Amino acid sequence: MTTHPANQQFDVIVVGAGPAGSAAALLAARAGLKVLLLERGEYPGAKNASGAVFYGSAILNELIPNWWEQAPVERHICRRDIAFMSPTTAVALDFRSAGVGFATAPYNGFTVLRPKFDRWLAAQAEAAGAFVLTSAVVDDVLREKGHIVGVRVRREQGEIYGKVVIACDGVNSFLAKKAGLQREFHPHELSLGVKEVIGLDPAIIQDRFHLTDNDGIAFEYLGAITEDVHGGAFLYTNRDSLSLGVIGQVSSLVERRKRPYELLERFKAHPAVAPLVRGGKLREYSAHLIPESGWAMKPKLYTDGMLVAGDAAGFCLAAGLYLEGMNYAMQSGLAAAETAIFACQKNNFSARVLAAYQKNLKQRHVSTDFRAYRHAPSFVNGPRLQNLYPEMVARGMEQIFRVDGTPKRKILPLTYRMVRQSTIKPGQLLRDVYQVARAYLW
Amino acid sequence: MRIAVCLKYVPDPSTIEVDPLTGLIDAGRVLYMMNPADESALELALRLRPSNGTVTVFSVGPVEADRLLQDALAAGADAALRVWDDSLGSLKPIVTTMLLAAALRVKELPDLVLCGGHSVDRGSGTVPALLAEHLDWPVATDVTQFELRSGRMRVQRRLARGARAESEVTLPAILGLESGLVHLRQASLPNLMRVKHTPIPLYGLEELGLSPQDLHFPAMTLHEVMPPRPRTRVMFTPDIHGSVQERVAQIMSAGVAGKTGKILESGTPEQQADAIIAFLRQRGFLEQPT
Repeated sequence: MTTHPANQQFDVIVVGAGPAGSAAALLAARAGLKVLLLERGEYPGAKNASGAVFYGSAILNELIPNWWEQAPVERHICRRDIAFMSPTTAVALDFRSAGVGFATAPYNGFTVLRPKFDRWLAAQAEAAGAFVLTSAVVDDVLREKGHIVGVRVRREQGEIYGKVVIACDGVNSFLAKKAGLQREFHPHELSLGVKEVIGLDPAIIQDRFHLTDNDGIAFEYLGAITEDVHGGAFLYTNRDSLSLGVIGQVSSLVERRKRPYELLERFKAHPAVAPLVRGGKLREYSAHLIPESGWAMKPKLYTDGMLVAGDAAGFCLAAGLYLEGMNYAMQSGLAAAETAIFACQKNNFSARVLAAYQKNLKQRHVSTDFRAYRHAPSFVNGPRLQNLYPEMVARGMEQIFRVDGTPKRKILPLTYRMVRQSTIKPGQLLRDVYQVARAYLW
Repeated sequence: MRIAVCLKYVPDPSTIEVDPLTGLIDAGRVLYMMNPADESALELALRLRPSNGTVTVFSVGPVEADRLLQDALAAGADAALRVWDDSLGSLKPIVTTMLLAAALRVKELPDLVLCGGHSVDRGSGTVPALLAEHLDWPVATDVTQFELRSGRMRVQRRLARGARAESEVTLPAILGLESGLVHLRQASLPNLMRVKHTPIPLYGLEELGLSPQDLHFPAMTLHEVMPPRPRTRVMFTPDIHGSVQERVAQIMSAGVAGKTGKILESGTPEQQADAIIAFLRQRGFLEQPT
């Protein structure tokens, strides 16, 4: 390998200071490696957006014990709701736990505000010795004899060299594509999330959502809320604000000619949601792409001199019951850092050595989880499970509870009639029941 | 030629959120940046700098302001100096300029000082003039263009209503520049990385030979913060004594009457003053007596 000036030669270059990148930089820097963490925003987190519930508390706790005491977290999630909606009705499944890990340390999940949280996490990597450089847009990878030996930053003399490049540059990873590891995505593999942060008094939030102190709730909505666009909606409580948004599959947004913010407005006006956001003041508006197809859009994860982690690798589990991304991002970032440390010990950065990444991902349960739920996304994100059935449940409940002088029907004939009235064929229904079982039960 | 540029560390207006109830800024969400007018002054200084010249950047501000001085170094400034003392709080322009003047004297005085004319936070626009007072130098404010001609600075100044004035100042001088004249160049990657951990020399009051008494000016105290309220205005009603035509004409003009002046020729000065006050009250510029 050619040698370069010492100040331009690093052991590890991490591109993107999100949960994956900062975790990778933190671990690699702690191992004594010379680490460069590049971020295109003015500060880490400036360009990052998500729901954002962080379910990786236990993972981060291993790196930074009792991290929540110093990090800018909002509320810990000990209540979760899944609601099925028709345009005027909502039926919800309410989960609440004061059990170990939910209401006690290390907690199950926290709502966070990404600009603050990501900034804090990158600062931890910096404190561990990583060199954090912001306002640095990476345009390309540098190659020598087929090996990736660094990246080119969009600035004068922007070439910078590293033995391993870890691409954590998010969904639609530019680097993974430049390295030839990832293909272009299809619109049906991506969802567009639009989100608002609505400011509300903490006392009102506690009253309105039946929360005490720093407890928080995560609502997820399925059904007619996105009309005929495949998708769902969410509402999370922060300390003095709510994060709420609508997620819609890109291809169906295009087909149905729906604008995401129209769906968001409709969601906010739904009778089950409007009272929750009443009186709030809009603080932020953001939108982001979500890689929702999991296993199917996983790129080749390593090549000579480079590893891919986080959303860039499609590690976002959007499978109905689970909507998790930041924890897998962090896990994959850590697995990539472990691989880079291993490669530095061996002083060999070829794909053959970096293949250890796969083993590390398995150990951190990333690839195993995604493999286990590989059948879920294509089906769960389909129209029937995300829109049709939830709406039928909501309408069915409406009919069961309605007292209007007509004879009461039992549930089975009611279901039968609803299926007959809908476009679903009985055979399809049975197949879907099998699919749900295959996705979640075994 | 030695050029000094004064940089101010200001809140980024796009990150400012005002609590609608108290009218106070939510400090936790604010990000800071280099004042845009100062940024443009820095770029002009770098362009003006001859091969044997230097550009030194100065800032009065807390430790966070180091980042902005480092950015200036990355863009090509030769040296940087920060002035701060923990006893300093929110500064008035008069105090800021005393500190800046003292800092400029630390090393050999420069030949030219460039300042952004107005900051985006306070925007009093007084710093160039006050600094000139402390140094006893000539100053040109609202400068949109300047050119060095045989040791004299030829400047174009912006006047009201689009007018421009050309004047000449002798060096050493201070120029207060308009914002948005040029964009600051983008630093190269090696420069950006080099300055990341460059320590910025810090000068406190002692190093500048000042004592807290020197900086003591009758303090401005904040008594109360209220949300802005529109000024009360007298609603237009047509004069009922007029004829129908006059009233219709008044209504059609929606109360916009041509400005009519009245010259008070008779009466004692006291009577004339009373007439002026009554006029201002009638027009809603003064409150009605309670």
